[in-house]
Amino acid sequence: MELAAFAERARAIEAESADGEIRERVTDLLTAANDDLPVVARYVQGRVFPAHDSTKLDIGPSLCYEAIAKAAGRNVAADDVEARVADVGDVGEVAANYDFGGQQGLAAFGAGGGQSDDDGLTVAEVDADLRDLAAVEGSGSTDTKRDILFSLFNRSEGDEARYLARLVLSEMRIGVGEGAVRDAIADAFDVPVEAVERALQVTNDYGEVAVVAREEGGSGLESLGLEIGRPVGAMLAQAGTVTDALDDWETAAVEWKYDGARVQVHHDPAGGVGDGAGESDGPNDRTRLFSRNMEDVTDPLPEIVEFVEDALDAPAILDGEVVAVADDGSPLPFQEVLRRFRRKHDVAKAREDVTVEFRAFDCLHAAGDDLLDDPLVDRHDRLEAVLGEAGAPALSPLHLSDDPDEIADIDAEALDAGHEGIMLKNPESAYTPGRRGKNWLKRKPDVETLDLVVTGAEWGEGRRAELLGTFLLSARTDDGFETLGKVATGITDEELEALSDLLEPHVLSEDGADVDVEPAVVFEVGYEEIQPSPTYSSGYALRFPRFLGVREDKDPDDADSLERVERLAERQ
Amino acid sequence: MFNAIVSADTLRTTLDSVSVLVDECKIHLEADGLEIRAVDPANVGMVDMRLSSSAFESYETDGGVIGVNLSRLEDIAGMADADQLVHLELDEETRKLHIAIDGLEYTLALIDPDSIRQEPDLPDLDLAAEIVIEGRDIDRAVTAADMVSDHIALGVNEGEEFFYVDAEGDTDDVHLELTREDLIDLTAGPAHSLFSLDYLKDMNKAIPKDAEVRMELGEEFPVKMHFDIAEGEGQVTFMLAPRIQSD
Repeated sequence: MELAAFAERARAIEAESADGEIRERVTDLLTAANDDLPVVARYVQGRVFPAHDSTKLDIGPSLCYEAIAKAAGRNVAADDVEARVADVGDVGEVAANYDFGGQQGLAAFGAGGGQSDDDGLTVAEVDADLRDLAAVEGSGSTDTKRDILFSLFNRSEGDEARYLARLVLSEMRIGVGEGAVRDAIADAFDVPVEAVERALQVTNDYGEVAVVAREEGGSGLESLGLEIGRPVGAMLAQAGTVTDALDDWETAAVEWKYDGARVQVHHDPAGGVGDGAGESDGPNDRTRLFSRNMEDVTDPLPEIVEFVEDALDAPAILDGEVVAVADDGSPLPFQEVLRRFRRKHDVAKAREDVTVEFRAFDCLHAAGDDLLDDPLVDRHDRLEAVLGEAGAPALSPLHLSDDPDEIADIDAEALDAGHEGIMLKNPESAYTPGRRGKNWLKRKPDVETLDLVVTGAEWGEGRRAELLGTFLLSARTDDGFETLGKVATGITDEELEALSDLLEPHVLSEDGADVDVEPAVVFEVGYEEIQPSPTYSSGYALRFPRFLGVREDKDPDDADSLERVERLAERQ
Repeated sequence: MFNAIVSADTLRTTLDSVSVLVDECKIHLEADGLEIRAVDPANVGMVDMRLSSSAFESYETDGGVIGVNLSRLEDIAGMADADQLVHLELDEETRKLHIAIDGLEYTLALIDPDSIRQEPDLPDLDLAAEIVIEGRDIDRAVTAADMVSDHIALGVNEGEEFFYVDAEGDTDDVHLELTREDLIDLTAGPAHSLFSLDYLKDMNKAIPKDAEVRMELGEEFPVKMHFDIAEGEGQVTFMLAPRIQSD
């Protein structure tokens, strides 16, 4: 496909606003893409490489502006391009309006280095050049990247340049999301959208899925599986409570939520997993590690590689967490793990400073079997088997429980051990790569409220000067009440009037706006957090307290005790 | 097999003439010397370089092609004083180049030649005008043009027989004329072409100031510049594609 033809279609797609029309036009584009289908399926959503591929163009705006300036003709500087972009707000619009093509190539005079002397750029040529560009490294690489980019701009014009500029800066923005391409693949090649969705989840490659859909149809898509060495998106959790979990599933699978960084382990004892950069028979060819964003983090984490080499003796894909541990085995903060993840040089030194360990909680593939569709509990059994005795220390235990108290105990243990708390998972759920769903829950506390005694108040200001507006709250102790915070939000004007009427009989004394109130009325109060604080006599303060209602049924003696407040503060 | 000893100065001059255009290149190891041909990533400028075996203190090879990272090799050569000798020896087994400079030993990993851009052809262009000019005059013209513009026009006035350089900036212009007397030689013919100064500046860096440069020019055609290095034992040709003179 000519770049010009791609650009024309991209322009038409960008002009559409209705999802249905966009889907139709993307469908037409994919149908017309022929040999360039994999490239076109990525470019249309502004992606040069598949999501599982860590390759990056590494082109910043300034490098792109330099390339545009160089192609733009006489005395155009990168600063001029930058100024125009600042003015117009779209590098594509700026690139489209320059008069490129002034520089002739040597090929036109019979001296090319394999480059055709035909002016029309094809999508395939752009792709080949961008791959060359991404592969450039070492000193002088910036100049080389700029020259390759200059050459592409020099050979493009108008809309070609518009979408080229946006593509290389990852600013395609023609309104085509992943869903539109997924639907368009289904429409263009007459395959079920669910099959496309599943294939995308396991491959993370729109190009490959489009080609398989076209060549082999729905059954071809079904046969696409996980591939060791090609990462998939990590399954994600949403926030939820123990009550939510037990209501939905009756029994929850409970495990610790480690304070670390997500890692996906790919291992094949037979090798062939490497990216080709390392030695062909070394550990890096048998084991690769990927971050949650599918970036290759094998090199920074040699001890995880060693552990995996040691523990696994069959092909496997495991999901887990890398945690940093102190000498006594207790976990170190997440930042310490990140320091290791980002390390490119002096890995050995970093390894001495911060020790990391692997905690495995899921198994996506074992010994030739894709396990994505198996229930969590079965996958965990496979995980345990795969890790074996040597890998047992890395196994994250999974507890099945239908008892909130037991779950609270596990939570407390996890917190005691220095981790974040617990995860609640549906024991029967499949593994859905890259999706955030309700089958995995990060436990958040069930909403706790406090019943506190009003021991003071303040007169309002302005319009509310006749009413009590802010209420001082206290918790009960054995010999009186200790203050814990003030609540002034969550109260309607009507309620304010009622509260004033309710409290005025109990006013003991007034000092300016401040009012002392006899303990008589109990408020139910919500809050985000209980913090230690010197401001109040209890030694604690409520963060974001809000009024929920008057506990007419409660006397100050039935109000929550300071002891309960302390316990809640402890458990947060 | 490749085993050679060469002065650091000669090695550096040789590498410079190629590294102004590319980061990596193939070096052909021929019985009578080294040959390099390379084109820049945008296919606009190319170099053709040969260095005779007689430029070396000693030179032995049974042929072959190696791929090198030029900036690495230049860095290593930069470790030597100009008159120091550099010993180069290819290890066929490991495909590494051993480089020794006065006790300093460096092992350079080579690049697979197949991964390097295809070498360009060097076509005969039959250009109408030919100017023989000193390297320092090219430097003067390029430096002056660079003050006002990023393009440079090179041409020959056929009737009045002079070579000229034009650079037009947004506000300021530069014009330089060199007559037959200012030049080493001039074959007048119709010639006027516009070039990107970026490339010409890079090529200029590799042209020795005292070199005699034979420049071939045409109408909207590439320019070719031929000159010697290493006391006549090396020959370099640069070829640069023109810009279209739309305005």
